[in-house]
Amino acid sequence: MSLSGAQPVAVVTGAASGIGAACVEQLARGGWRTAGIDLRPSATDISAQLDVTDRHAVREAIDAVITRFKRVDLLVTAAGYYEEGIPVVDITREQWDRMLAVILGGTSNAFSAVLPHMLKQDSGAIVAISSELALGGSTTDLHYVAAKGAVLGLVKSLALEVALTGIRVNAVAPGPTDTPLLAPDSLWRRPDYLATLPLGRLVTPREIAHTVCYLATSTMYCGEVLSPNAGAVI
Amino acid sequence: MSTTDGRRIALVTGAAQGLGHATALRLAADGFIVVVNDVVDDGRLGALAESIGGLAVPADISAAKSGTDIVRAVVERLGDIDVLVANAAAMAMGPFLEQSQELWWRQIDVNLSGHFRLVQAVVPSMLRAGGGRIVIIASGWGVIGYPNATAYSASKSGLIALTKGLGRELGPSGILTNAIAPSYIDTEQLQVDADDARISLDEMRQRYRELIPIRRLASVDDIAGAVAFLASEDAGAFVGQVLQPAGGVTMTRA
Repeated sequence: MSLSGAQPVAVVTGAASGIGAACVEQLARGGWRTAGIDLRPSATDISAQLDVTDRHAVREAIDAVITRFKRVDLLVTAAGYYEEGIPVVDITREQWDRMLAVILGGTSNAFSAVLPHMLKQDSGAIVAISSELALGGSTTDLHYVAAKGAVLGLVKSLALEVALTGIRVNAVAPGPTDTPLLAPDSLWRRPDYLATLPLGRLVTPREIAHTVCYLATSTMYCGEVLSPNAGAVI
Repeated sequence: MSTTDGRRIALVTGAAQGLGHATALRLAADGFIVVVNDVVDDGRLGALAESIGGLAVPADISAAKSGTDIVRAVVERLGDIDVLVANAAAMAMGPFLEQSQELWWRQIDVNLSGHFRLVQAVVPSMLRAGGGRIVIIASGWGVIGYPNATAYSASKSGLIALTKGLGRELGPSGILTNAIAPSYIDTEQLQVDADDARISLDEMRQRYRELIPIRRLASVDDIAGAVAFLASEDAGAFVGQVLQPAGGVTMTRA
């Protein structure tokens, strides 16, 4: 990655809020140019409003980033949403399909749109946001956990596929993080749950962003899953 | 913060050469006052301490009283310890059936028991400092095992379990314990391995490269960077984790 030369360029999905927005803020502070992909406008140099399940639209948005900035050094896939409190038998076909389409499909769409450009450069970093739940399992949110687990498979396989190039693919599996994704009455915000964590608190979006930035600038990680999770999964 | 001028204090074991040396330099560059330890000072330890304005505390950490002696020396001279980097290691390669009791215990005593006692001695100092970071240097071989390195691998696996237990037990007190499990690093050890295999250093490097998906050995600075990250405020949500900057060798099995 040419961090010393021209300003590096990052594409962040889910850039308008939560972990994605924290990544954008951290990257901008570090001198990166940023492009956001989100349903809503993001505070980025380029803001593409679209649904990550739309493969064609994702490809067009990333091609537009290349047209303007001539390169892409980092992709962060943070787009997603969460549903909890649903027993597995009550998860509808629609809920399952939508979750898989957004989290797994959206991640895969962004990977495949950015990869040809990174291969041409023979450099780049891809950091997918998974979840600590994909490592430790969970109840009443099985569709979300299954989708986040599948992202890890995607990451490890692509990491190996491009291992001989200058492209590094890794994942961050955050613990429960204080973002709008967690409803005010979320089980993960309850004091009795937090008391079970060694750190006794939610993770901050900023802590996830720091981890993403660390992975983006380290070259020895390949298919790694870093989990800043306050001790939720050890 | 442990010193009156607000600089944090880090203690690095096994700092005379290789990864420990690079880690001491990196932490000093990041603003830490760095205390360096190795089994003896053959001149390199003192020279390192002088070059970074730190303190040298030579001692064999496998000796029963070393932990308390080291910590007392640091606290008296500088103040309480904020960061411990448990890096010192003994290693002897050889077929399992030919491993003597002596070689087994040397590796377990230094790598695992020595650091167990050192952590016991350091924790009260960290608690006085209001929290701390413990960074354990484990090994990819402690994750996936390796032929002819059974004792070493066992000691490093033990360190990973120690990391997880300490993460859970000390996390609520603000002491965050994490590990790094590197695989093949370009250090002085490669020459020893090359001599052992009766091949040249370059041939040794190539042989190891072929075991790494990204075909690149880690530099000591790559691993020191991981230590610096875990010692920084940025890593405040990491506890009981094992980082594997190993080029894909272990594929996240820790």
